[in-house]
Amino acid sequence: MVKKILFWVLTIIVLAVVIGPLLWIYLTAFKAADDIFTTELRKLIVFAPTLDNFRRLFTDYPYWFNLGNTAIVSVISTVVVMIVSLPAAYSFARWNTSGGHLLFVTISTRMFPGVVAALPFFLIFRTFGLLDTHVGLILLYVYFNTSFATFLLYGFFREVPAELEQAAMIDGYGRMDVFRKIVFPLILPGLAVTTVFCLIWSWNEFFYAFLFTRLSARTANVLISSFWGSIEVQYGPMAAGAGIAILPTLLAAWLMQRYIIRGLTFGAVKG
Amino acid sequence: MDTNSVYESTPNTAVRIQPVAGARRPSVWETLTSEKFFKWTLLFPLLLLLLIFMLYPMFYCIYYAFHEWGMQGDAIFIGLNNYRQMLHDNSFMEALGRTFEVLVICIVAEISIGLGLATLWNREFKGQNIVRGLALLPLLVAPLVLSLLWNFMLEYDFGALNQILSALGLGKVYWWSPHFALFTICIITIWQWLPFSIFVLLAGIRSLPRDVFEAAKVDGASAWYTFRRLTLPMLSPLIMIIVVLRTMWLIRLFDPLYGTTRGGVGTELLDWIVYRTAFVYFDIGYGSAMAIFSLFLTIALCAIMFRLLMKSLGVIK
Repeated sequence: MVKKILFWVLTIIVLAVVIGPLLWIYLTAFKAADDIFTTELRKLIVFAPTLDNFRRLFTDYPYWFNLGNTAIVSVISTVVVMIVSLPAAYSFARWNTSGGHLLFVTISTRMFPGVVAALPFFLIFRTFGLLDTHVGLILLYVYFNTSFATFLLYGFFREVPAELEQAAMIDGYGRMDVFRKIVFPLILPGLAVTTVFCLIWSWNEFFYAFLFTRLSARTANVLISSFWGSIEVQYGPMAAGAGIAILPTLLAAWLMQRYIIRGLTFGAVKG
Repeated sequence: MDTNSVYESTPNTAVRIQPVAGARRPSVWETLTSEKFFKWTLLFPLLLLLLIFMLYPMFYCIYYAFHEWGMQGDAIFIGLNNYRQMLHDNSFMEALGRTFEVLVICIVAEISIGLGLATLWNREFKGQNIVRGLALLPLLVAPLVLSLLWNFMLEYDFGALNQILSALGLGKVYWWSPHFALFTICIITIWQWLPFSIFVLLAGIRSLPRDVFEAAKVDGASAWYTFRRLTLPMLSPLIMIIVVLRTMWLIRLFDPLYGTTRGGVGTELLDWIVYRTAFVYFDIGYGSAMAIFSLFLTIALCAIMFRLLMKSLGVIK
């Protein structure tokens, strides 16, 4: 009994530490500035809720426009990544193409510090006028998501037994048909998980977005970060913006519980 | 049945029926999807992408690392001077040292606390799926947003945490003082990534063979002894995975710095100093040299750790 109580006390403390800060975003989003900048302890939780922060965010700042940029860039880059990675992962998994060397090269791009790519691309984008455009940002996101997606899909493809494909081919299916009718349906859950991960990585990305966009392709994260400036600090609109921007990621984390660990470890651990 | 349809309906196995002499040659599409070329056809888009997106930036950086260039005029070849400058650059060396500090603090804390909580939650209990789901929530939230949030919560006067601490009579903490700021950054990072360690280790603990532990119990081994001599060695491959992945991510810590100190108060890390050199001072040559250094540092660290991992798995001696 004592053990059980101890267990729950510990569990609840841990959960409070984990969830508390996330709830804080939403509490702050509904506070007036006077309730945010106060030292009155009571006002941490007891305050008159207001929608003022949201109203200011939507009218004074191009929040929806920037969130739209985030969405456009995330979705298109993910589609491109899938078109590139899906066949490549299949090739690696089924034929062990190039004996693992190319797969290793692919993964090693994931180890690259972001700045290594940022410098050359910044200069070449400047030449081609791709700075502050959707196309530029999409290219960068394709770059950093492809290796991840290829490797994760590789793991899922490996789980499709080769015998199944051989059987289909003996029945007269061509390679394309085997892929379309046999392998693809089996890989769908893995494909869905990989897609969501790529969407989230692009959605969350800040470094490239911050360096490569100013106005017309600025993403929501960059706008949110600008509220913590050296001139003025506006925690209210910041919390409101953050609260909306993180909703999809929270939802994904909740729905993909079973796959998060697998995705984050590149498939090494099946959580 | 004409030869063409025979060709197309033939299973693509080793004993392909060759089209008779005089029949048309296979189309490009047929060649690309033939048994011999199909795997390379599938790989083609990726290879193209790697060529453009990987080799190009890398060679570019390597090239400019040997030059002095400020984005205007011609680049001047200066040999290894950029690297030499790096060795004598105090702020760079400090940033490097801090990066290692952060690596050690975060990884040690995450694994030890993670192990504790994984052991705690390694049982069937009511609502375990809800606990798991809630604990995993921070993992996928943008690090930038979380750092902005923590920056606000840890503010000296208005920050929620200091208010709670002083209400509890513990006194306020200068979270962003030069002595403490780096540690605060570590706390933020650990907070976000702790669930990762917990659930990787929990997955590991769940997959351990039961009979060994029952045997140990029968033999009267203490819980601590069992943990140290059985659980820990068997979990070491997973611990290595955590160390490798976290090293890869932590070595390029950027977002938490941007959301909080912006490289000030003694928190400048490796990625930040590269960013500052290349994008604030526009010293492309020197910045490239630093970027190349940090690239090889990551690869070297990961190679060493992969070796350790392979050793612990018994693949190599």
